Formats: sequence, structure tokens, C-alpha cells
Amino acid sequence: MWSELLPLAADLAWPFALALAWVIGELGHRWTGLPRISLYGAVGFFLAHTQLGLLPPVTKGSVMLLANVAFGLILFEFGYRINLRWLRTNPWISATGVLEAAATFVAVYAVAITFGMPLLSSLLLASLAMSTSPAAVMRVVNEERSSGQVTERLLHLTAINCVLAVFAFKVIVGFWTFQTSGNIWQALSNSLVVLAVSAGLGATFGLGVPALLRHFGRLTTDATLGFAIGVILLVAIAHSLKFSPVLAALTFGFVARHRRVALNQTQRNFGALGDLLVVVLFVFVATTIEWQRVLTGFVLALALISVRMAAKVFVVGALARVSGVSWRKGVLTGFALTPISVFVILLLEQTRALGIDLVDQLAPLAAATLLLELVGPVITQRALMLAGESAEPTGR
Amino acid sequence: MPLEPFKTSASLSLGVELELQLVSLSNLDLIDASPDMLDLLGRRAFPGNVVPEITESMIEVSTDVHTNHEGLLGQLRQIRDALVAAGDRLNVGVCGGGAHPFQQWTERKIFSKPRFSEVSALYGYLAKQFTIFGQHIHVGCASGDDAMFLLHSLNRYVPHFIALAAASPFLQRRDTLFNSARLNSVFAFPLSGRAPFTLSWHEFAHGYFASMEHTGIVRSMKDFYWDIRPKPEFGTIELRVCDTPLTVDRAAALAGYLQALSACLLARSDMPPSESDYLVYNYNRFQACRFGLDGTIVHPKTYESITLREDILATLRRVEGHAEAMGAVAALSHLKQVAHEGSDANYLRRQYEDRGSSEGMVEAAIGRFRQ
Repeated sequence: MWSELLPLAADLAWPFALALAWVIGELGHRWTGLPRISLYGAVGFFLAHTQLGLLPPVTKGSVMLLANVAFGLILFEFGYRINLRWLRTNPWISATGVLEAAATFVAVYAVAITFGMPLLSSLLLASLAMSTSPAAVMRVVNEERSSGQVTERLLHLTAINCVLAVFAFKVIVGFWTFQTSGNIWQALSNSLVVLAVSAGLGATFGLGVPALLRHFGRLTTDATLGFAIGVILLVAIAHSLKFSPVLAALTFGFVARHRRVALNQTQRNFGALGDLLVVVLFVFVATTIEWQRVLTGFVLALALISVRMAAKVFVVGALARVSGVSWRKGVLTGFALTPISVFVILLLEQTRALGIDLVDQLAPLAAATLLLELVGPVITQRALMLAGESAEPTGR
Repeated sequence: MPLEPFKTSASLSLGVELELQLVSLSNLDLIDASPDMLDLLGRRAFPGNVVPEITESMIEVSTDVHTNHEGLLGQLRQIRDALVAAGDRLNVGVCGGGAHPFQQWTERKIFSKPRFSEVSALYGYLAKQFTIFGQHIHVGCASGDDAMFLLHSLNRYVPHFIALAAASPFLQRRDTLFNSARLNSVFAFPLSGRAPFTLSWHEFAHGYFASMEHTGIVRSMKDFYWDIRPKPEFGTIELRVCDTPLTVDRAAALAGYLQALSACLLARSDMPPSESDYLVYNYNRFQACRFGLDGTIVHPKTYESITLREDILATLRRVEGHAEAMGAVAALSHLKQVAHEGSDANYLRRQYEDRGSSEGMVEAAIGRFRQ
């Protein structure tokens, strides 16, 4: 009897989890005003196989792919909002981004070493801690319909620190591979080649899809569907060829925006499709966090989060006036950068495939990610509200 | 509070106010950037005046008082350069145009200031859909009576300014078929339209305004949204029908034309204005909004039909002498070219054709403002 029901239960687990996350997300958002993604994450974490055990462990398959697509869509939209020219016309933005990431790296590395973590783990941890989660930031910005300098800077600084984080991470992994295997080719292919090919793939889509849309004629029609299908295809290709879907999708959005053959109307969040996949993504990401690891790394995690936040708030705040906004908005931007990147996890998954098992060594990261997955979006949301950049509540 | 006395100002002096769009360079939609822009612009001396407007996606600039077109143009260019530089630092595009082609009024945010909150509470969605962008031109008048005479004499020329400045052909991503769709939004307000007919300042202030104030409907001249309204505290009349043009050069040219035309009218060159002139007023106004320079208007005295383009070109020739005296010749030749080649509305439609989207149209407008 049970053996017959078990596969059925497994099939039902995910749809039920999504439904539950959605209901809790909506009700919780209405009652508490917390960002929906925090609530999705909470549901995912509690239902995960290592906690309540409703959800089976996911290593590959359709949910993983869906989550990757969801992440790809958000990154595309994120890349599409980045304006490179601004980094040139206001070099203080780039300076803030680089200094903020560097300060975070140094601060986190110092704390990790002080707590007695091995050198390699400390370096990797420091590089990952630089990044802010583009997905969390993008979702909160869209949910709040915020606009203004904190919003703009938040997005651009996140883009800079993510690129730096991926780069630093890959360089460290490459260096480590070289040291252990002595094989320069393996080291290179592990890092730079993967980055270059992923970016190239994204750029090809960034040029091709708008051209195709243009070819279809009258562009008053919505480009959302075209871009969504482009992202899905791109993520699937990058995923199966073991390149970085993250970087590819980001580059796609970025190139589609800057080399725009034509400008297109796109729906925020990719409309209902985006909203749906976001539930999948944030539930899924939180299921990968194990309670045991969180407990192990809790103290160090708190220390890491504190210095990370201090570094970001201090640097972004200090450079606020000179870059053209008030101190207050600068400090708020620094706080808004708190959510940590979900692709931390994805990167870890990839290195595991390469034969480096960092997950066990990086238990504090799991704890930090859980905390920031749930609390980070709330901090971003409050920062946007305090800056007066969220939209007024509508329909009330 | 009774209307204050009409302050005398140098006859035919000029001042210009421009309401400008603040645009996100990411998706080219309007962005709520006026608090940040004002904060940054407030750090150093601004070549003119800059203030918030009702929603946070708008910013209003104004010039000092000028006696000629050249001085006005010079200051407008400085203002533009200051705005563009601030926009560059904040990733905000600044542009002209009477309306944004695809913004949603529901997304707009009311700028936090008591008067704006009052207006918003009174008018509801009208306040947010009032995110439209106009050019206001002030002309100095030696007396209140001069002001009333000039205000009503200009009635027949209002369509000229609408057609020459028209720059709002699209709303909600669709071609409205209007050249100035913006003015339709103004018309939704109960106190819009035209000023009541009287040529005496005394009668206007102590008769009409006092009675209106007694009804409790209005408290100051600001409550009227007329096409032309007297501004006693400046000693001017204010023409409010122009869409904000895509360039400050055109804004200055329109002011120069108004100056030369006012000089001509104050020399009593036309038949004196009368209430019956307004029989054709709304129809002519509609023609100018809808068809722009190709509109056909009815002359208020002779009832003759004329195309706006011909009427404008004829008037430009007629005021040439005054323009020479006032230093507004360059303004007239600029507008002659517009009459031949088309307005900003035509330009925007061409951009839409070439670039294939409303976003492309906004991008072109941003580029044009910088020129």
C-alpha cells in the first residue's frame, strides 16, 4: 500500500509545496508586509528533506531546470536594466562598486581566518560574500515598484559585485586546481574558458533575439514572450553543456539592452510567468540548506554577516556625497545590498561536480545564506521604504 | 483674500517655464527622480530656478526675466546643460515633449508637498494623469488693463502656439491622431478653458474674481487652469497652451514669437477683441490640437476658413517689423522652418516609424534635448 502511494506522494510534493508557498506568501505579505520571497524561502526551508522532509532532495531533473530558468529570467531582466554608460559618466559608481566589493572581501577573509578556517575556504568564502543576490534585489524592487537613486544604485552595485564575485571565485578555483593538479589547461578551462564561453553564448542571444523580433515586424507587439523563450533556450543549452547559465542569462539581458537593434516593450518580471517561476526558485533554493550545517556555522555566520554589512554600508555611505546622493541615501543603499546571492549555492553545486567539495567546509555560508535569504530581502525592502522610493500602496 | 493689485512690469519682457520629463535610461519609462534631481541640483547655483511639479517624474525650470530672445535662449541653454549634467550623474534622462508616450498614470507618485497633496485629494486620478509637460510663457504688461487687452487679443492666435509647439502625439503606446494630446488632459479640469471676457482689470479683479472667491470655488489665480491667465504678482500674462518642445531652442523661439506678436497687438493693429471671438475658439483650438499645422481654423471676425500653416506664415511676416525692434528675428525664422518642415509631433511620429517602438521615440527625444 505505502509502496504504491510513495511515488504518488513524491509527484505531489512539489505542486503542494508551491501552492503552500504561494498561499503563505500572499497572506504573509498582506499581514506582515514582508517580501514574498522571504516567505517562499521559509516554506522551502521547513519542507526540505533535511527538515520536515516533505520535499524529496533535488539534485537534477525538472525542478532544478525550472529553478535555473527562473533565475535566468530574473538575471536577464537584471542585465537589461544595467546601463554601462552610467558607469562611465559617473565613475564614482564604478569606484563605489569595486571598493565596496574589495572591502567586503578583506573583511570577510579576515574574520574567517580569525575563526580558524583554512586558507582556501576563507578565500572562497570571501569572494562569494562580495556578491549581493540579483534575484532577491530584483524581486524586491519589482514588488515595491520602487524607483529612485537607492534603487538604481542598488541594481548597478549588485551587478558590479556579482561580476567581481564570479571572477574572483573562478580565479581562486582555477589557482587551486593548478596547484593541486599542476595542469594549467585544466585550471584555465575550469575558470576563464567557462566564463568566456558562457558570456559569448549570452551575447549571441542578445544580438540574435532582438534582430529576430525586429524581423517579425511591427514592434509595438510585446517582446516579453520572445525574450522568455530565448532565456529558456539559453539556460537549457548552458546547463546541459556545463557552462554558466547565470552568466549567460546576465549577458543576454545586458547585450540585448546595449546593442539594441530595436527597443522593445517588456513586461516587468516577465508577467505571470515570472511570478510563477519565482515561487519555484525561492522554495527550491531554501530546500538546499540543511539545518545541521546552519547550526554548525551559526556563530561564524553572524560574524560574517555583520562585517559584510558593515563593509558595504561604510563604503557606499562614505562615497555617497561625491557620487551625487545624500549621505542618508548612500547608507540606505549599503543596507539594501544585504541579500546574499543565491547563485552562491549554484556555484557550489558546480564546484562539487568538479570534484571540490566545498559545501562541507563552508557550513557558515549555509547559515549565512539561510539568514540572508530570509532576512536580506526584508532589509532591502525597508531600505527602499525609508528612502521614500517604494510606490504608494495602491487600491486601498 | 482679494486678488492682489496688478504689479507693473516692463512691457513685453519675457520669462519661460518648462515642465520636463524625467526618464529611466533602463526602460525609458518615467522615473520618480525629482527628489534626487532637486537634491543634487541644490548643491550649487542653478542658472535659473528649479522646482518640483505634482508628480515625482516631472521637474519644472524657469528663467529670469529677459528683454530679448537671445538672452532668453542663452539662459535656457545653460539650464539645459545643468539638467543634463545632473541627469548623467544620476542615470536619469531629461527630455521635452508634451506627454510621455507610454507611462501609466497609476504608477505615478505625488511629490510630497502640502499643495500637491491637496490637489491630489481633490482631483483624484486627474492629478496623476496630469503628468503632462507644458511650456508657459510670461509676457510683461505695463498695466492690468493692458494685460486683459493682450490676453483677449491673443485668443485668435492660441492655435498658432498649440500647433507650433505640439509634441504629444502618443499616449498609452498608441498614436492618438492628435498632435497635442496633452491639452485634452488639461480640459478635464473644471476650471480650464478661457478667461471671462472683460478688458478692464478692475472689473476682472473686483467683479469676476471676487465673486468666484465668494462662491468658495477658488482661492487664488492658481486654481484656474486657463489657456492664458493673468499673473498679477508678476505683472504678466501667462500663455499655457504650448507642449514643452523637444529643444530649448524651440522654447525660446516660441517666446520670441509671442513677444513680437504681443508688440504688434499692443500697437492696436488688429480689430479689438470681443466676446463673440470666442464662438470659434474651442473649435479652432481642437483643430490645432488634432491636426497641428494642417488644421483649418475659422477667423473669428470674418468667419473665413484658413489653414493654420498659412495663417502662421502670414502672421510671421506681419510681425517681422516688431521682431526686428525686439531682437526676435532668429525666433521667427526658426518657426518659419517649423511651419514648412513640421512640428515636434511630426518628428516624434517619424522616430516611431524609423525605430519601431514608443521606447525608441523617447530615446530620440532624450537625444534631441541634449543638442
